[in-house]
Amino acid sequence: MRNSVSLHKLLPVLVLVLALLVPLVVENSYGRHLFIIAFIYAIVASNWDLSLGYAGIFNFGHIAFFGIGVYGTGLAAKFLGVDPWLAMVLGGVAASIAGAVVALPVLRLKGIYVILVTFAFSQLVLQVVLSQSDVTGGTQGLVRIPTISAFGYNFLRDYRLGYYYVALALLVLSTLFLRRLVASDFGMSLRALRDNEDYALARGIPAGLQRLKVLIASAFFTGVAGGFYAVYLRVASPEVFGFSTVSLVLSMVLVGGIATIYGPIVAAVLLTLTTEGLAHFAGMNESRFMLVAALMLAILLFLPKGLASLLTKRAPRKPAAESGGTPAAAGARR
Amino acid sequence: MTLHSLNAMLVSGIVLGSFYAIMASGLSLIWTTLGIFNFAHGVFMALGAYVAWTISDAAGLDLWLGIAIAVAVAAVCAVGILTERLFVRPFYGERNMLLITTMTTLAVMMFLEKGIQLFWGPRLKQLRPVVTGDVTVLGVTISAHEAFVVCLAPVLLFGLWGFLRLTRTGRAIRAVGQDAQAARLIGINVPAMFAITFALSAGAAALTGILLGSIRLVTPGLGSEPLIKAFIIVIFGGLGSLGGTIGAAYVIGLLEAFLIVTVGMYWTPSALFLMLILTLLIRPQGLFGKAVH
Repeated sequence: MRNSVSLHKLLPVLVLVLALLVPLVVENSYGRHLFIIAFIYAIVASNWDLSLGYAGIFNFGHIAFFGIGVYGTGLAAKFLGVDPWLAMVLGGVAASIAGAVVALPVLRLKGIYVILVTFAFSQLVLQVVLSQSDVTGGTQGLVRIPTISAFGYNFLRDYRLGYYYVALALLVLSTLFLRRLVASDFGMSLRALRDNEDYALARGIPAGLQRLKVLIASAFFTGVAGGFYAVYLRVASPEVFGFSTVSLVLSMVLVGGIATIYGPIVAAVLLTLTTEGLAHFAGMNESRFMLVAALMLAILLFLPKGLASLLTKRAPRKPAAESGGTPAAAGARR
Repeated sequence: MTLHSLNAMLVSGIVLGSFYAIMASGLSLIWTTLGIFNFAHGVFMALGAYVAWTISDAAGLDLWLGIAIAVAVAAVCAVGILTERLFVRPFYGERNMLLITTMTTLAVMMFLEKGIQLFWGPRLKQLRPVVTGDVTVLGVTISAHEAFVVCLAPVLLFGLWGFLRLTRTGRAIRAVGQDAQAARLIGINVPAMFAITFALSAGAAALTGILLGSIRLVTPGLGSEPLIKAFIIVIFGGLGSLGGTIGAAYVIGLLEAFLIVTVGMYWTPSALFLMLILTLLIRPQGLFGKAVH
């Protein structure tokens, strides 16, 4: 037991060291570009895992937070002349505000209506972006967004080395934030609400407040990731709100394993590298998405806890003990 | 506002409402029977339109469009049954069934949408109208095809209502929707009822897609915009009852026509979503809905 615990603590550090060394092996700018995009998706997917997996909120508007980060940063940097670094933070703040706004109806609704209203919310954001075409560029997208620089260093130099490390740093920050959050009392109260709402309420956990907080929290780094996406690619396109992006990121959460944080990160990197790699074969542009969809269905049917469940020993299922224990533990602490 | 523009608004609102009503009734049927929301409903529309197009146009056979429609609807019914069997039934009775089936139907949507694009290619297609010519109602001229849809919708919906009320199978479907366990106890074949429900709903989707395919261009995403409208409709109407959904479909159709005239094409979707979120803040169970679990 003791051995496996220390391994669990060591593994993320090992992976981080490997990630820091990747640019030594991957020297061309396209390979690094894939990793940068993968890290961005990893932030989006793992933050979605916080609200969907840990808090159990049927939030299907998470991609809207990403889109708001993309456009918030893009517009602030391009038209208000805000420094792109600061604009990225603004993108995160804008996404968090959106998280608070979407929480309003979500707190009052249950089940399917939460799914529908969050979906509708992301469509509302998309429609606003499309209708304000003189500012946002409409379907053409927002182009020529100013990019980041530091001490006169141009990030496009050295085959995107700078961008690679900024993306990695954001992912590490976001992951540390998420891990701390889910391990805290707050994180436990979220799981308690998810697993046994009546009992959690009876123990005095304020359901509405916790859900409001978690939506705001999960939106922040998603928005920052969107902001980085905007300043890195220097374009913002309304496609980021589409059903395809939603399904792709959702598949990352599922393939990695829901309520694991690390799972979606690993899945995001693997799926991005493979799907982008497949795009090079002729005629694979559509079928790679079909593969992702098929993979998603296979995971849901045969490995409902995601690939992460392959790592842990195939212990007999004990959902009853788990869901019974968590709320009690959280309740006792409060 | 002149009388003529008021009439124009009314007519186009009813045309929209008729499309929405056929489509949303399929969604509502699945919801009331199985308690899930089928996100692949929109892509079933596109699939129906493509199959009908292949039979009626591409094959070059001078068949009556009706045969094409019948085959296309039947094919999509089969896809619906397959979807239910493979990706919905394994999760029936699970605690997170709603969430899981949302994800599986989303995956089916993505798979079929990209599959359609791969199979039929990117070229835009258009179906022939079922009826040609124009009709003038209340001094407003619309195509005969649209008038046909306006007349067809009540017939179909009334037929569906009659089927659910009066036939043995229809009553069995409603029984399963109310309490699947009890229905099984009195000898109703529950899995068969699920399959029939999915087939009916997919058939309604295919029909909407085919009818829409001669007004709009047929693309793999033909159904995504109507699906989003269907979200609004079922939230307004509440998913609980077929009647509420159909009523909401016409209300939203008229509202959309009104908004297009007053705030313009661009702002209409935003205005609809905003009204929707405000409605939910005041009445979380929808305008006509009763509180649903």
